[in-house]
Amino acid sequence: MIKVLKEGLFSTIQDNGRFGYKNIGVPVSGAMDQASAKLANLLLGNDESSAVLEMTLLGPTLEFMNDTYISITGADMNPVLNKQKVLLNETLLVKKGDILYLAHSSNGMRTYLGIKGGFNSETKLGSKSFYKGITKREKLIKNDTIDIDESSSFFKKIGQNINDFIINRKSAIKVFKGPEFDLLDSKSRDLIFNTDFTIGINNRMGYNLVEAVYNNISSIISSPVMPGTVQLTPSGKLIILCRDCQTTGGYPRILQLEKNSINCLSQKTIGEIVKFKLV
Amino acid sequence: MKKSNIFFKVFNEESILIQWNDRVDIKLIDSIISFRNLIEEELKDVLIECVQSINSMMVIYDPNKINSKDLINILKKLSSTGFKVTKTKKKIWSIPVCYDIGFGIDLKDLSTLNNISIDEIIELHSSITYNVLSMGFLPGFMYLGMNHKKLYCERKDKPELNIKTGSIGIARDQSGIYPQDSPGGWRILGRSPISFFNVDDKSPCFAKPGDKIKFQNISLSEFNKIEKNKSSYNIKYKVI
Repeated sequence: MIKVLKEGLFSTIQDNGRFGYKNIGVPVSGAMDQASAKLANLLLGNDESSAVLEMTLLGPTLEFMNDTYISITGADMNPVLNKQKVLLNETLLVKKGDILYLAHSSNGMRTYLGIKGGFNSETKLGSKSFYKGITKREKLIKNDTIDIDESSSFFKKIGQNINDFIINRKSAIKVFKGPEFDLLDSKSRDLIFNTDFTIGINNRMGYNLVEAVYNNISSIISSPVMPGTVQLTPSGKLIILCRDCQTTGGYPRILQLEKNSINCLSQKTIGEIVKFKLV
Repeated sequence: MKKSNIFFKVFNEESILIQWNDRVDIKLIDSIISFRNLIEEELKDVLIECVQSINSMMVIYDPNKINSKDLINILKKLSSTGFKVTKTKKKIWSIPVCYDIGFGIDLKDLSTLNNISIDEIIELHSSITYNVLSMGFLPGFMYLGMNHKKLYCERKDKPELNIKTGSIGIARDQSGIYPQDSPGGWRILGRSPISFFNVDDKSPCFAKPGDKIKFQNISLSEFNKIEKNKSSYNIKYKVI
């Protein structure tokens, strides 16, 4: 078990998501940066979809209630175990009573804490991922405790190079053409691939982009959307939907992010630049 | 099934979008449901899930087991062999709604906008039997069609920040029910005291696409009575 001593900005339990309920409007959820979450698990010999702790911008302070192994991946929150600085992307032994301090993130927005066996918070509709209205908790707060699933796991070698999981935040966001892309006029198409878009307000539901493009398409009949769908709003501004997005939407879907580009976007924050590039 | 205009598009590395360019009506909903049942049966080894919508469907698959080209070919073959539109048993659900002005916060505006009395709005809205076209937007949110044409209206320019659980709204030619507190732009005509999404139930939503909904106009005192015993309220339905 771990205990939250200080809550940080926004920390949630996430796994690879909730499947089979989109037809009744339940979002997929799951770790925003799936690559980092997977690495955190593989470092511990966990199943790659085990539940991890996703921490945003400012990390929490956590106390371990028993001896176990952990891993920290994603953005660097300058993790300190008791008084010792610890490294990212390693397997670490922690003892009962040890305290892990996570500070402001640098080079990224989201940090992942994996734990041997995975976190064992409540499972709702097949997933442990926190989501308002589905799980009792929306985020972790001070004095919360989270159980660990100790039933599983022995160490095994990661078959892949760790660098394969590390997000390159400088790379362009790779996209497919969305279902309504062909309705755009040539002026809008040019703008979409030649604009440096600035990231505006963002959260687990979506990223707003600041610069507007010209919009010549009207809204559509509510149709399926997915994490990574880029919607064109009536004002010409773009929204990139993320893991907690709704399951259907009425705005034209002009682009669709390639899977790994969703991970890449998840490590960017307000004021950073994104550029779209066709796959 | 009658041959219709079906299009298949690669959406991303693990999904295919199927789009029907037909008029939105109950026949189309029934075809989509039947096609979905067929896909879920025939492709269960590669399928993750199908997301059904009003005139389209997303097929999410495991790319380790099949590639998009092969999958599209199978889907095309399945759709062109003329699958049977199966008649499954459907339910007509009777949903109590209180159209009190305190709940129906947009009744007055709609009355002015469409030049129609509030009584007529309520009469027209509660006289129609709606089809559940699709679910989405929020867990348990139902898209219902179609409204009486005298009630046609666009969404509000500025969405409300907090529409209350159970609120019944309209936008364009559809009605919808907010299963939880949420921001939203639909014009709100009334509120239902019953619960539309129960995460701990085996089926969290009682209705499904293809079912029908009839609104039953109730008074404020009936609303309060039902709301007090919300968890034990049995929603009335007829099987058709």
